[in-house]
Amino acid sequence: MEYAIEISGLTKKFGDFVAVDNLDLRVRVGEIFGFLGPNGAGKTTTIRMMCGLMRQSKGTIRIYGYSIPEERSELIKITGYMAQRFSLYEDLSVYENMEFFGKLYGLNGEGLHKRIRELLEFLDLEDVKDRLAGRLSGGMKQRLALGVALIHRPKLLVLDEPTAGVDPPIRRAFWEYLRGLNKEGTTILVTTHYMDEAENCDRIGLMNKGRLIAEGTPKELKRRIFGGDLVEVVLQGRIQGDVIKGFLNVGDLKYKDGETVLRLVLKDASKELPSLLKRLDSMGLKVQSAEPINVTLEEVFIELVTKSEARVRGEAY
Amino acid sequence: MRHIRITAVVIKELIQLKRDPRSLVMIAMIPLIVMLLFGVGYGGGTGKISIAVVNLDKGSLSWTVLDSIMKTPSVYVKAYANSIEEGRELVKDGTVSATVVIPEGFTEELMKGASTQVLVIVDESITTISSTIRNAMLAVTYKFQQELVRSVGGSSVELIYSSVYGPKVTNLEAFTPLVIGIVLQLVPTSLISIAICKEKERGTFEQLIMSPISRYDIIFGKLLAFFIATIADMLITLMVAVWIFDVSVRGPLIDAMVVSTLFLLGSLGLGMLISVLSRNQLQANQAAIFIFIPALLFSGALMPIDMLSPSARILANLTPMYYFVSAFRDIMIKGFGLWQITWEVFALSVYMVLMMVTAPLVLRLRVD
Repeated sequence: MEYAIEISGLTKKFGDFVAVDNLDLRVRVGEIFGFLGPNGAGKTTTIRMMCGLMRQSKGTIRIYGYSIPEERSELIKITGYMAQRFSLYEDLSVYENMEFFGKLYGLNGEGLHKRIRELLEFLDLEDVKDRLAGRLSGGMKQRLALGVALIHRPKLLVLDEPTAGVDPPIRRAFWEYLRGLNKEGTTILVTTHYMDEAENCDRIGLMNKGRLIAEGTPKELKRRIFGGDLVEVVLQGRIQGDVIKGFLNVGDLKYKDGETVLRLVLKDASKELPSLLKRLDSMGLKVQSAEPINVTLEEVFIELVTKSEARVRGEAY
Repeated sequence: MRHIRITAVVIKELIQLKRDPRSLVMIAMIPLIVMLLFGVGYGGGTGKISIAVVNLDKGSLSWTVLDSIMKTPSVYVKAYANSIEEGRELVKDGTVSATVVIPEGFTEELMKGASTQVLVIVDESITTISSTIRNAMLAVTYKFQQELVRSVGGSSVELIYSSVYGPKVTNLEAFTPLVIGIVLQLVPTSLISIAICKEKERGTFEQLIMSPISRYDIIFGKLLAFFIATIADMLITLMVAVWIFDVSVRGPLIDAMVVSTLFLLGSLGLGMLISVLSRNQLQANQAAIFIFIPALLFSGALMPIDMLSPSARILANLTPMYYFVSAFRDIMIKGFGLWQITWEVFALSVYMVLMMVTAPLVLRLRVD
């Protein structure tokens, strides 16, 4: 099966408020798909509808071929879920929480205990296995929630803001776990509003005001706003703009300490940069340095939101 | 698969109960405290109602009346007044609950063979007290007349009482069914009423329903756990009544337990239904207490059902507490067995099944 998640025309209305607006989305088997967007963009609502926790107003959802909400019981068997808010029992210990959920999946006896031991080791929770969940630190709670989501070896992992409110080093460590699971073949759908985390995803969907405003690999999205990769080339001496503007898409040209700093947009920097350098060299220009500019997804997001909102306004008038 | 899931829910709930001091206090202490308060308050003590006497008669027969009043167990003479006005004031300011006035020339009139009167000024604000006084004065007058007839001569009618289920039912015994009913409704209902909405409030419901659990697993797992926990309440109340207050259960004890268990299960089902319908714990608690009020009013224990208006009687017939109190009373005081109270047992079973079935039908496995 090619797609783990296929959503089309998904809409959710709360009265007059449209929380999710005609959303189309496809997530391939085996990828980490990041769902990005500010709070209130409709990510959690989308996820809840996908899991059959909430009924859609319109649209179809297929998870590994199962149609939701009709075949929800099949979805549950193959899906691990981590809610936005810590939603395990604070008055049960780490072990008791895992045991309880394991039993709900029909695991029992030695099989269950082996699986719990495995997860405790993987998530580094062995030392706190008898501690009440309510007494765990934020990072531990997050790992326990992941452990519970993994208890039945799901094919699909759905994580709603798993790293919200957790310190950056712990967030990074958490992503290590996710990458490890993904390598073993787990498809992961994760929402976040931390743009830096999204760099870890194979593909991302940007959501704003209930709409998916862009979708693609992090690289593709970055290219999309500027029409390609952004590269900074520093040349010796003050070069007149018209010398190079004829064949180059120059975004910005500055002089600094007897050097010329160019910002160029290339369709694909990795392919075009070597030939460009050769050409500049053949023109007798001395290239001091040439490197791609790292655009953060945050900048991409702001750019895209502004554009999409301008478009919406344009439609309205 | 299903039994693994239900067992998991039962174990989880029991662990959570064990770690929640408030629930433990509710399960163990409330029935104990209610039973002890009730036993101390209603048992043993023979309270008397205070009255005043105004004797305006100068003859000897008024003393016979007074003597008879003194011997009445339910009243005692607290004050003597010199005039009707004074006697009325004593009732008005609450010093006494009634004043008995023997008029001037009481002996003289009787000796002439004429009729005479005794005035009783009664505080009507508390009906049980005023009716006790009426009954006492009726008995006093009756006894006095019997004696008068004996000494003067003439014919009279004498009343002879013969009791069924007697010889005498104490206050404590009369109220035991109601108190057990109160404990068996209030504690389980309010305890379990937060079972579902607490999970919704804390967000654990969302994780729970992302597992292959069915609504029947959730409801019946929780019901079973709370049943195991609150069965202690039934035992505590019965044991305290039987062993500490010496209430004798004349019918089979096991039948009393069966009726109590039916009612307890019904209370749990009711609480569960409240929990499924409530948005939060506060709402659930309020509903549990609110629903308890009509149960108490129409239980038939505060006021016999036959004495209520027809519309109130319909309400009473819809009140499970009424069937419980009546069934329990029949077993305890009349010594009946289950086969003699089949109607009550049937009604309680219908109530129990209805409550148990409705809760899972209403529960939706969604977050909205």
